[in-house]
Amino acid sequence: MRRFKWPGITILSLFLLAAIALRADFRAGYYAPTEPGAMRQALPDVFSTDANYSAGQFPLLEPALATGDGKETLEADCSLCHTPRFVTMQPPLPAETWAAEVEKMRKVMGASIPDDDAKKIVEYLSAHYTPETRKR
Amino acid sequence: MASLIGKTNRRKWLQILGGSAAAIAFQRVFGGSGLAAQEPSAPKPIPDFTGPGPNPYWNSPGQWVTYPQKSPLILLTDRPVQLETPRRAFLSAFTPNEAFFVRWHLPLIPNTVDLKTWRLHVEGNVERPIELSFPDLMTRFKAVSLASVNQCSGNSRSLFQPRVAGGQWGSGAMGNALWTGVRLREILDGAGVKAGSLQVQFEGLEKGMGPRGYGSNRFLKSLDLNNPVLDECIVAYSMNHEPLPLLNGFPVRLVVPGFFATYWTKGLTSIRVLDQTDDNFWMKAAYRIPDTPRNSTTPEEMKSGKVPTIPIARMPVRSFLISPDGSSKVPAGFPLRLQGVAFSGYGGIRKVEVSADGGVSWRDAQLGEDFGPYSFRMWSADWTPPRAGKYTVAVRATDAKGNVQPDAGVWNPGGYEWNKIERQEIVVGDAS
Ligand code: HEC
Repeated sequence: MRRFKWPGITILSLFLLAAIALRADFRAGYYAPTEPGAMRQALPDVFSTDANYSAGQFPLLEPALATGDGKETLEADCSLCHTPRFVTMQPPLPAETWAAEVEKMRKVMGASIPDDDAKKIVEYLSAHYTPETRKR
Repeated sequence: MASLIGKTNRRKWLQILGGSAAAIAFQRVFGGSGLAAQEPSAPKPIPDFTGPGPNPYWNSPGQWVTYPQKSPLILLTDRPVQLETPRRAFLSAFTPNEAFFVRWHLPLIPNTVDLKTWRLHVEGNVERPIELSFPDLMTRFKAVSLASVNQCSGNSRSLFQPRVAGGQWGSGAMGNALWTGVRLREILDGAGVKAGSLQVQFEGLEKGMGPRGYGSNRFLKSLDLNNPVLDECIVAYSMNHEPLPLLNGFPVRLVVPGFFATYWTKGLTSIRVLDQTDDNFWMKAAYRIPDTPRNSTTPEEMKSGKVPTIPIARMPVRSFLISPDGSSKVPAGFPLRLQGVAFSGYGGIRKVEVSADGGVSWRDAQLGEDFGPYSFRMWSADWTPPRAGKYTVAVRATDAKGNVQPDAGVWNPGGYEWNKIERQEIVVGDAS
């Protein structure tokens, strides 16, 4: 009896596997190491009982600006009031719209950006963020 | 089965099972059968941007991010913080605080608020300027509660054609909450508005890096003192029976029922009565809409410089299909429940209709509980797709004033007030 025990279990489990496979036409077991989809949960806050109500720090994420002439100028001149993500968030816009945006930041928002820089920034935006030129 | 084994030689069974059944099992379970044609692939991330056509997704295409007091939301910008609520969060009439969208204009926003020193100032053209502490608001006034939708003026801006610059929101820059607080009128009466006053201006804890006198330095919004909405405004210290998350305006924010969120000042610190019309950037240049039918115009007309504009105000009627959202294929004959939310800034939803043929034929949906004229109204309609194919579900709402959602978009340079009928493709497969 004893020598039949393991083969018996093997038979039974193989039989079950076969039965499952024959009854339901499904597929399983596809896993692959990939980047997207994983995100850490935040640790719960530890609070004091005083009158301070805190949300801690807000994360800053690096915007993926296209590499090219004028990138550093844009980063230097356009980061005071908001992240350059305001640029990457936009849909591809015509060069004249970009020129108008840079003018708006200077005239209406009070950005102190020298003419030379403004020209460089508009050229950079036209080279990477119009319907014709935007890649990513 | 057991008897079958019993009748047969065990060794033979071992051979059969090991040789063929196990092979079948392996093939079927781990691939190689008739399903081989559709190899499962890794999920591909949404591209970083959409356009120049309209955003094809319900939400904006940003990354998931975790923020303090928030469940994962969709990132628009991190400084100032702008986060969008995912579609699924609208499967209930009240949007959870942790999922509520976030939209600040200026980079210096509170990480910490000290209630020992925080005060709400009522000042300007008043008889008696007053300062109210958080306990003052909770105890010295009558508490009132109101369900009201808070929607960004630029919600769905990414659907505009041609596209316009600005926050590229999908349709998740909205939320509904039960707001509890103090009537603005009671506070104003306490201070005594002087005769000849014109507007009341609101300012919060948000500050900017730009030079003084520019919109990049302060965020200021004003309402006319004779605007009837003032009688409905609440200075809210409670959101869905909880303190407001810091990112949504702790300790108090202004609630302007039926109006776009631009007036709902967060982290409110000043209620300032003005004896002249506010001409700061955020009133005079931003958040203005063409004074035309549906507040719509064209880029050409705008360029002519002849389009008169007015400050944005009430929200036109909208409705959304929340589930199913097209993320799953549905077997033919499956009894689906179409469900979603509808609202209007013109007071209540009278009717929601759904279409399973892209808007050719319509039938009434069932309306959920009525939480008041400014709340989300849930709607649902049962629908069993008869056979395999691609179906376009459309939904349209009619508000209490009889406004029906139109089947045409709008265009204005700010990207405001989108309320076109929404459509969602549902793919139905064979069920056998
Ligand atoms: C002095 C402050 C300041 C500087 C410097 C600045 N901006 Fe802005 N920018 C703003 C403000 C304020 C807004 C509106 C923010 C909002 O509505 O959330 C804005 C908005 C934008 C927008 C969104 C569209 C719009 O017009 O609202 C874009 C694009 C933009 N900025 C690009 C730039 C670029 C490019 C630069 C550098 C040339 C720049 N900004 C520099 C203050 C500034």
